[in-house]
Amino acid sequence: MSDNSLKNLPGGFKGMSQDMGSDQTAFKGVQWGKVMMWIFLLSDTFIFSCFLISYMKGRTSTVVDWPNTSEVFSLHVNGVAVPLLLIAIMTFVLITSSGTMALAVKYGYEKNRKMCGWLILATAIGGLTFVGMQAFEWSKLIHEGVRPWENPFGAKQFGSFFFMITGFHGTHVSIGVIFLFIYSRKVFRGDFDKGKRGFFTSMKSDYVAIEILGLYWHFVDLVWVFIFAFFYLW
Amino acid sequence: MSDEYNQKNTPIKAQSSEITSSSSGSSKDIDYVRPAELPEQDLYHGHSFITKWIFCQDAKVIGVQYFLTAVFTGIVGLVLSWLMRLQLGFPELVPFITAEHYYQFVTMHGMIMVVYFLTALFLGGFGNYLIPLMVGARDMVFPYVNMVSFWMFFIAVCVLMASFFVPGGPTGAGWTLYPPQAILPGTPGSNMGIILMLVSLSLFVIGFTMGGLNYLITILQARTRGMTLMRMPLTIWGIFTATALAMLAFPALLVSCIMMTLDKMLGTSFFMPTIVQAGEVLSYGGGSPVLFQHLFWFFGHPEVYIVALPAFGIVSDLISVHARKNIFGYRMMVWAIVGIGALSFFVWAHHMYVSGMNPWFGFFFATTTLIIAVPTALKVYNWIITLFRANIRMNTVMLFCLGFIVTFVNGGITGIFLGNVAVDIPLSDTYFVIAHFHMVMGIAPLMVIMGAVYHWFPLVTGRMLSEKLGKWHFWFTFLGAYSIYFPMHYLGFIGVPRRYFEMYDSPYVTSAIGMNEFITVAALIVGFSQLIFIYNIVVSLSIGKPAGKNPWKANSLEWLTPEVPPAHGNWGEKLPVIHRWPYDFNVPGAKEDYITQTTPPSEVISAEVEKT
Amino acid sequence: MDEIENKETVASTHKIGIYLWIWGLLFVLSFFSYMVDWFQFQGLLRWTLILIFMFLKAGLIMAFFMHLFWERYALVNVLLWPMTAIACFIGLMVAEAKYTVFTRLLYFFIGG
Ligand code: HEM
Ligand SMILES: [Cu+2]
Repeated sequence: MSDNSLKNLPGGFKGMSQDMGSDQTAFKGVQWGKVMMWIFLLSDTFIFSCFLISYMKGRTSTVVDWPNTSEVFSLHVNGVAVPLLLIAIMTFVLITSSGTMALAVKYGYEKNRKMCGWLILATAIGGLTFVGMQAFEWSKLIHEGVRPWENPFGAKQFGSFFFMITGFHGTHVSIGVIFLFIYSRKVFRGDFDKGKRGFFTSMKSDYVAIEILGLYWHFVDLVWVFIFAFFYLW
Repeated sequence: MSDEYNQKNTPIKAQSSEITSSSSGSSKDIDYVRPAELPEQDLYHGHSFITKWIFCQDAKVIGVQYFLTAVFTGIVGLVLSWLMRLQLGFPELVPFITAEHYYQFVTMHGMIMVVYFLTALFLGGFGNYLIPLMVGARDMVFPYVNMVSFWMFFIAVCVLMASFFVPGGPTGAGWTLYPPQAILPGTPGSNMGIILMLVSLSLFVIGFTMGGLNYLITILQARTRGMTLMRMPLTIWGIFTATALAMLAFPALLVSCIMMTLDKMLGTSFFMPTIVQAGEVLSYGGGSPVLFQHLFWFFGHPEVYIVALPAFGIVSDLISVHARKNIFGYRMMVWAIVGIGALSFFVWAHHMYVSGMNPWFGFFFATTTLIIAVPTALKVYNWIITLFRANIRMNTVMLFCLGFIVTFVNGGITGIFLGNVAVDIPLSDTYFVIAHFHMVMGIAPLMVIMGAVYHWFPLVTGRMLSEKLGKWHFWFTFLGAYSIYFPMHYLGFIGVPRRYFEMYDSPYVTSAIGMNEFITVAALIVGFSQLIFIYNIVVSLSIGKPAGKNPWKANSLEWLTPEVPPAHGNWGEKLPVIHRWPYDFNVPGAKEDYITQTTPPSEVISAEVEKT
Repeated sequence: MDEIENKETVASTHKIGIYLWIWGLLFVLSFFSYMVDWFQFQGLLRWTLILIFMFLKAGLIMAFFMHLFWERYALVNVLLWPMTAIACFIGLMVAEAKYTVFTRLLYFFIGG
C-alpha cells in the first residue's frame, strides 16, 4: 500500500490541497472516531465560547461592581488570605492529569497495556480530585451567601455566571472521569488488544479509542485554561 | 490504515483495484483509480422487526423515519397556520382563537417549521438517505449514533408536542423567544410552555449533533474510490455545508436555551434587566436582553442557510438531470455554497437593526449582508444558464425547480431591501418581512422538497408517482403560495405589523381587509391541495408504475445500486468505483445522453467529457 | 509524521521527552499566570500577560498533547478557521457591551 503511506505524502499547504483534492478521505490516516471527536470538540468550543462571550458581555455591561475574584476565591492559610490558592491548585491538578493522559496515549500506541492502564487510572483520579475541589469551592461560596440569583459581594451576574460556567465545565470533567474509569478497566482487561466488540455499538475496540478519550480530556483542560484566565484572573 | 489492520477486519476484500489496475491491460492507465485506503465497513445487520425497522441502524431507514416524523410536525405547523390565517382574514370568526392562542400558534408554527420540519427534513431525512448512497459508502460511519440521533429528535418532538397539553399551553413568545417577555407572566405559556420549548430545543441540538457528526464524517472520510470532493453531487455539497453550519451555530442556541432556562427556573438574571411589573419590582436585575438576541441570531442566521443550502444543492441536481445538461459552473456553485456558509456567520445582526444595539453595527452588518447576496445571485444565474437551451423535460420535478427559482429570486430581492438599515427600519416587523422569509425559506425550500420527493420516490419505493396528479399539485401549490405571500409585500408597505392578533379599527386596515380575506382563502386552498400530494404518495405506493432501475437516466450513484430500492449495505459485493462527476449529460460523442459516474473512461473513449 | 497509523512500526510514537518538556512548560506557565494575580499587576500589563500565558498554554496543549502539531494541515485548517467566527463575535460583543453600559449610565444616572 505504498500509494497510501502517509510518509510519502507532501506536507504543509501543498499536502492540504492534495488531500482535499483526493478521493476517499480528506484527512489522510485519521480514523473516523478521531475526526468525530475533533469535530465534536470544535462544536463544544463554540458552546464554551458562547458562554464566555456572554459572561464578558454580562460583566462589562452591569453597572454594579463585579466582586474582586482574587479576594472572593482566596483561602486562609494560618490566618493569612492567600489569593486564588484553591484555583491554582485545581489548575495544577488538571494539568497533571493532562500530562498523565498524554503519556497514557503514548503507551497505548506502544501496546504497553500496564502502563497505559495505570496512567489512565491516574488521570481519572486527578479528575476526581479536581471535581472534589470544585465541590469544595462551590460549597464555600454558597456558604458565604453566593447564589445563582444573588451575590452579596456585588453584581448578581457574578453568581450566575460562576455556577453556570464552572458547572458546565465540571460536568464535562465528571463525564470524562466516568469514561476514564471505564476505559482503564477496558485497558487492563485487554479489550483493545483483542478487539473486543462494544456492548452497545457492537463495533471492534482499538487503541485509537484511548487517543480519542485523550483528546476529550485535553480539551477539558484547555477550556479550564480559558476559564482560569477570564473568570479568575480578569 | 495499515495492511495488517486491513486484513484483520475485511470480510470482503476491498483491494479489488490492485487486481483491476494490474490485469486490465491496455485500459490500465486511463481507468486507474487509487486503491482503497480503508477496510470495508463493519455493519450491524438487524434481525428482528425491532432492529430492522424501529431501532434500525441503516441510514436509509433512519432517513425515512426522520422524514415521516418531520412531515408529521410539519402538518401540525400547517394546521396552526390555518388557524392564524382564519383569525387574520376573518377576525373573531372562530371564538376559540383568542389572542393568547393566536400567539401560541404563531410561536409553535414558526419554531416547528424552521427547526423541526425543514432542518430535520433536509438534513435528517434527505441527508441520511442520500449521503451514503451518493458518496458510495455502505452506511453512515457511526450507524449506532445515527440511530440514537433519530430517537433524540423523536423525543424532542414529543416534548414539543407535550407543551400543547400542559397547564398554560405552549409558549407564545414568538419563534425568536425574546426575553424578558418570553418568561414573564402575561406571555402565554410563560411557565411550563417555555420550559418545554427550551428543553425540546436542547434535545434537538444534542440529537442533531450526533447526526451531524455522522453526515460530516461520512462525506469527509468514507467516500468510495474515485469520489473526490469535486465529484460529489451538489446535493451533498449543500447538505455538507449546511451540517457544518449547524454544528457551529447550534451551540449558540443551546447556550441561549440553557441561560434562559436558568433565568426562568433559578431566577438568574442573564437576560433580565430590572423590571417593574404591575407596580412591583421583580427580583431580576442587571441582565442584558440584547445578548439573547445576539446569541439567538448568531444561531438564527446560519439556521436560515441550514435550510437554504441543502435546497440549493438538491435543486441543482434536479435541474441538471431533468434539463439533461451539466450544471453550469459546477465549481462556482460549490464555492458559492461554501462561501455563503462561511459568510453566514458574519451577518447575524441584520435581524436586529431595530433592537437598540450599538448603532455602528448597522454599517458592518449591512455590508456583510449585501456581500452574501453576491454568491447567492451567482447561483441563480447558474441555474438559469443551465436551463438555457437545455433539453428540458417539463415534468413535475422540473416544474417544482422552476417554481423554486422564481420564488427564491423574489425572496432574495426583498432580502436586499431588508439588508439596508435605512430601508429595513420602516419595514422591520411588518408583513414585508413575513413575505421575504416565506418566499425565501418557506416556499422555495418546500418547492425543492416536493420536487425531490417526486424525483427520489422511485428510488425509495421502487414506484413512480403519478405525473398527472403531480402537475395538479404543482399548480395549486405554486399559484396558491404566490397568492398568499405576494400580497403580503403590499401589506408590509402600508405598514401592517407582523405578530398582531387583530388590527381592530386602525386606519390602514380598510385597505387590508379584502386582501387578508383573500390570503386566508388561498392559504386554506393550498393547505388542502396538499391532500393531492398525500393521496398521490399513498396510492402510488401500491399501484404506481414500477420504476425499474434509474428511471430518470441520472448519473449519480444513488441510482446505480444493484437492488432498487437499495438494500442494507447499499452496494452488494463490491463498492462502486467513480470515474467522473455526476453531470455528464448530452456529452458530444457519447452514445447515450448520459454517462454514469461509474462508467470508466475506456468505455466512452470518443466522448468529449469534462475533466473532473 | 503521523504516529497513529503505522501501528506495526510501534516505535514511531513520540519520544517521552517531548511530553515531559511540554508538561513542565505548562506548569511553569500556569505558575506565571498565577503570579500575575499574586503581584496584582493591573491594567494593560495584566491583560497582556494573562492573554499571552493563556494562548501559550492553550497552544501547547493543542499542539502537543492533542497532537495537532503532527497532524496534516487539512485537519488543522478545518479546525482553526471556524475560530474566525468566534473572534468576530468576541470583537463585536466587546463593542456591544461597552455600548450597553454607556446607555445604562447615560439613562439611569445622568438621566435621559
Ligand atoms: C439575498 C440574501 C438575503 C438577505 C440580504 C436577507 C436579509 C434579511 C434581513 C435584513 C432580514 C431582517 C428583516 C427584519 O426583521 O427586519 C431578514 C429576515 C429573514 N430572513 Fe433573510 N435575507 C436573505 C436571504 C434569506 C434566506 C436564503 C433565508 C432562508 C432560507 C432567509 C430567511 C429569513 C428569515 C426566516 C427571516 C425572518 C426572521 C424573523 O424575524 O423571524 N433570508 N432577511
Ligand atoms: Cu439573516
